[in-house]
Amino acid sequence: MPARGSNRTRLLWISLLVTSLFLITLDLRGVSIISSIRSGAQTILAPFQKAGSAVISPLGNLFEDVSNLGRTQSKIDALKEENEKLKSQLILNENVVGELKQLKGTLDLAGSARFKVVAARVITRGGTATFGETIVIDQGSRAGIKRDMTVIATSGLVGVVKSTTANSSVVLLMSDPSFRVGVRVAGTQDMGILSGGGDNRFSIQMLSATGQINVGDVLLSRGSSGDRPFVPGVPVGRVSFVESTAGQLTKEGRVEGFVDLDGLGVVSVVLDATAGDPGDALVPRAPKPAPTVTVFVTPKPTPSE
Amino acid sequence: MTLNRVPRIVAVFALVFLLQEALINRISFFIGGFSLYLAFFIVWVMQEERSSAVVSGFIAGFIADFSPTLEAPFGLWSFVYTVVAYVIANNVRSALDADMSPVTISLVTVFGSFSASIMFLISGAILGQEVGSAGYVLRELFGNSLWTLLLSPLYGPLAIKLYRATLTARSR
Repeated sequence: MPARGSNRTRLLWISLLVTSLFLITLDLRGVSIISSIRSGAQTILAPFQKAGSAVISPLGNLFEDVSNLGRTQSKIDALKEENEKLKSQLILNENVVGELKQLKGTLDLAGSARFKVVAARVITRGGTATFGETIVIDQGSRAGIKRDMTVIATSGLVGVVKSTTANSSVVLLMSDPSFRVGVRVAGTQDMGILSGGGDNRFSIQMLSATGQINVGDVLLSRGSSGDRPFVPGVPVGRVSFVESTAGQLTKEGRVEGFVDLDGLGVVSVVLDATAGDPGDALVPRAPKPAPTVTVFVTPKPTPSE
Repeated sequence: MTLNRVPRIVAVFALVFLLQEALINRISFFIGGFSLYLAFFIVWVMQEERSSAVVSGFIAGFIADFSPTLEAPFGLWSFVYTVVAYVIANNVRSALDADMSPVTISLVTVFGSFSASIMFLISGAILGQEVGSAGYVLRELFGNSLWTLLLSPLYGPLAIKLYRATLTARSR
């Protein structure tokens, strides 16, 4: 009897595996019902994600805060109940101030390029253990967002809209391993392809053998036909390393992204870039060096005795 | 396994999925991330007998495939969860005592979660998915395993309690 039970389980297992493979085949063949299932799921999940974001947002960087806990422990112990209330209020305020700062930076960037944008809050990140890098924002097709629109933040490119529902959108971050964007070097205009690698470091490959990159070069998005998925001129990152291998046809290197993709709170989706290519106008300015204080010392003649 | 259990299993996994998508994904962990859903599933399957484990695996995988942020093709998680459920129910569970200690449960969960992630990665790569750099993949795998181990005292008992709550009188 156990053999019969075992055979039945095996048959059930194989049937379910075949069903899974059938679903995969349908998806890979681009059957629309499969993509609309995920879109429908996002519509259902969006209100929960917004609620979750409101709960988690002040605690989002919990683990980073924990590392500072030891230093403030003595102070926390000394605080009374009323101070606890103030502290929680302060955390909320800090969160709001942080988001406002990000929003201002993003709008400044969009304003410099004369992009028409819609601002959105990040309500959740993509699933972990899936080896993909995505975020979900709280604006969707009702705000005019469509698939393949560019997403920017304070210092530059964030990613591209992957799918939308009425009130939310999924954004593929530029750190996703499948992400590719055409870039040009600010100044020289040499062109290359930037690829995501999973973290905030990217790789670049120049398109032509004569294309040159140097450490410190700023990369800007090259733009796509009809400005989708990429509008031109958005800062992408700075070259941090250039590979010099003998026999290499084109230059390759590594790039540090301008945007901290782990700390995103507010982003903007570019709806329209009809003002045209901003050229190199959005290249981040190098920080001004602090003025050096020069002290002139006039030696006093020693009084002669 | 009775058909009466199926809606209960769907409800429990849908709830954990919601928790994962709305709350857990929003938390910024030190290294990698934590998949409560996957860890919860492994603990659950360790309690199940073979045929129920396979069905639970397919249901859990099917729900995981609904994740709108997922880049992988629909059905890939169903495939991975069904295979992992069968392997755990058929091989791992029979090799261990019926009354598993919390330490054993934790270790098997870490191992199961790690194996499922590797299998997802390999199957995805075969189907043409982009895989990140080796450093990124290792960090994600290590991070997920670490949090799965450290947080097991929290989700482990909860998964076992919820599993027992879904059992019908006949299943008990």
